[in-house]
Amino acid sequence: MSILEVANASFSYERQSENIFEDISFKVGQGEIFCLLGPNGCGKSTLLDNILGINHLNEGDIRVMGKNTRTLKNGQIARYIAYVPQSHERTFPYQVIDIVKMGRAAYTGRFSSPSAEDKEIAKEALDLVGLRHLRHRPYTQLSGGEGQLVMIARALAQKTPVIVMDEPTAHLDFKHEMVVMETIVKLVKTTNLTVVMATHFPNHTFYLENNGIKTTVALMHNKHFLEVGNPTRVLNEHNMRTLYNVNTKLMTCPLDTSTELKQLVPVSTLRGLNKEEWNADV
Amino acid sequence: MRKRIIYILLIIAPLLCVFASLFVGRYPLSLALVIKTLWGQIALVNYDIPDMYQTLVWDIRMPRAILGAMVGGCLAVSGASFQGLFRNPLVSSGILGVSSGAGFGAALAIILFHGNTSAVYIFAFAFALLAVLLSYLIGRVYNTTPTITLVLGGVVVSSIFSALISFAKYVADPYQQLPAIVFWLMGSLATARYHDILVAGVPMSIGIAGLLAIRWRVNVLSMGDREAHSLGVNLAVDKGIVIICASLATAGAVCVSGIIGWVGLVIPHICRMIVGNDNRVLIPASLSLGACFLVLVDNVGRIITGSEMPLGILTALIGGPFFVWLLKKTKGGGW
Repeated sequence: MSILEVANASFSYERQSENIFEDISFKVGQGEIFCLLGPNGCGKSTLLDNILGINHLNEGDIRVMGKNTRTLKNGQIARYIAYVPQSHERTFPYQVIDIVKMGRAAYTGRFSSPSAEDKEIAKEALDLVGLRHLRHRPYTQLSGGEGQLVMIARALAQKTPVIVMDEPTAHLDFKHEMVVMETIVKLVKTTNLTVVMATHFPNHTFYLENNGIKTTVALMHNKHFLEVGNPTRVLNEHNMRTLYNVNTKLMTCPLDTSTELKQLVPVSTLRGLNKEEWNADV
Repeated sequence: MRKRIIYILLIIAPLLCVFASLFVGRYPLSLALVIKTLWGQIALVNYDIPDMYQTLVWDIRMPRAILGAMVGGCLAVSGASFQGLFRNPLVSSGILGVSSGAGFGAALAIILFHGNTSAVYIFAFAFALLAVLLSYLIGRVYNTTPTITLVLGGVVVSSIFSALISFAKYVADPYQQLPAIVFWLMGSLATARYHDILVAGVPMSIGIAGLLAIRWRVNVLSMGDREAHSLGVNLAVDKGIVIICASLATAGAVCVSGIIGWVGLVIPHICRMIVGNDNRVLIPASLSLGACFLVLVDNVGRIITGSEMPLGILTALIGGPFFVWLLKKTKGGGW
């Protein structure tokens, strides 16, 4: 059974204006990761906003665990779908544990505070991302990578079957990009979570696939999905050229006896370094 | 355990400040006299205390101190809540134009009704709420009220009412009305009586109670609209409750005390340094410290000069150095 189902979805910010995306359909099953890939401004984040209920589709439906999100109140959607933002602006130096406890808002009355049980759930969530020892630190003092793990912990505290992540490794350094990816793999494997993720790194999807997670990639292009499928099938030199106007080489090398490491290596943009063609449309 | 001690301190401190202020003023009173007067009033025992002292303690100093505590608490709590709601530490209780609206209402009443006290209260209160309503309507676009347009709405409304205050001063009679307007704008508790507490206490209490009740949600709202939404918050309702409560509290305070700056901006920050940023503790702490601060400052104002020094001047003169001292001592508390 699919956990999340998007059917014939179209959206524009205002009725008359041009659609951001049109007639998009896909399904994600439990324990799967669905990756949205596409150039800046192609509508990935807008599609995620619609899944989260921040915006509402003009046409089509979004179902989570069989329930149409149109019929759900915001507080109910938050019990099915959690959100990890691309970048979180830190204003007040809350303690890490207080940030994670906010994940319990959907289960806490408007005029009450999280209970002792909520606090335990928050601590468990911090355990899952390996940050329990930092729980009393002001989260404004954490590094970018740790901050992102706190956001993931907050989403976990929400205890939802689905987590939506918008470029969770943007702005992170070489190591922390890996830490966040490993955390996602670990979580999906141990908790059978379903993840919908927008990303700018095609190779991340190979990484997920190599670690034994059922990964589906959707290439978002001209308001539609250019192609949907597993990374090995979808991520090829031809599609990268269409999607990003970038020439790539698909490199493979054996990682160990059973797995083969695949990487898409960018070579050049279509216009290349040739000066005369700089003005030509890319 | 530590939490419990903090909460007990937060409750006791304002009571102590109010009690202490019964001794402060031009006529020094002995402890025995004050206690006898209080007990005489509460238990209806006659101790043969001269009427003058009776009046001084029970009818003048007591209501003044209580009102001061309530006003200080309201301004600080509204400021703390707005800082969270607008995710901006530079915001104060006047951000949506409450203070300038109240100022114009009071000035208008002073000109139209020659300073009739009830008229001043009613006009100040009504225009304070009108200003917030206008800010809200200006900030409302696409059926939602994003934080940034709400702040802009507040800025616009504040400056319009500030201009109107200037206009009122310009047309006011310079011998009677102008000084009255100027003094009102500088803030004072000198005329406080019990009926002020009863009248203004209603909106202040409603506002405070609401903000205390919803204080954890202010944490969540301070994550920003997008994240608060995805955490399951009904933005329109929760933001609305915070705005209405904070505005009621501030409008109730300002209409009886005049404009007292500083408390709504800096008391929350002093509390942030002491108890941290979690609004579950921050908001009660602001209530308590705001109350203490205003009562103490009012006492200082009664001591240092023969005539009364306006509160709005003293809050900044006393609070400023204290804030700097605390900033150095706590090294900013995580900022």
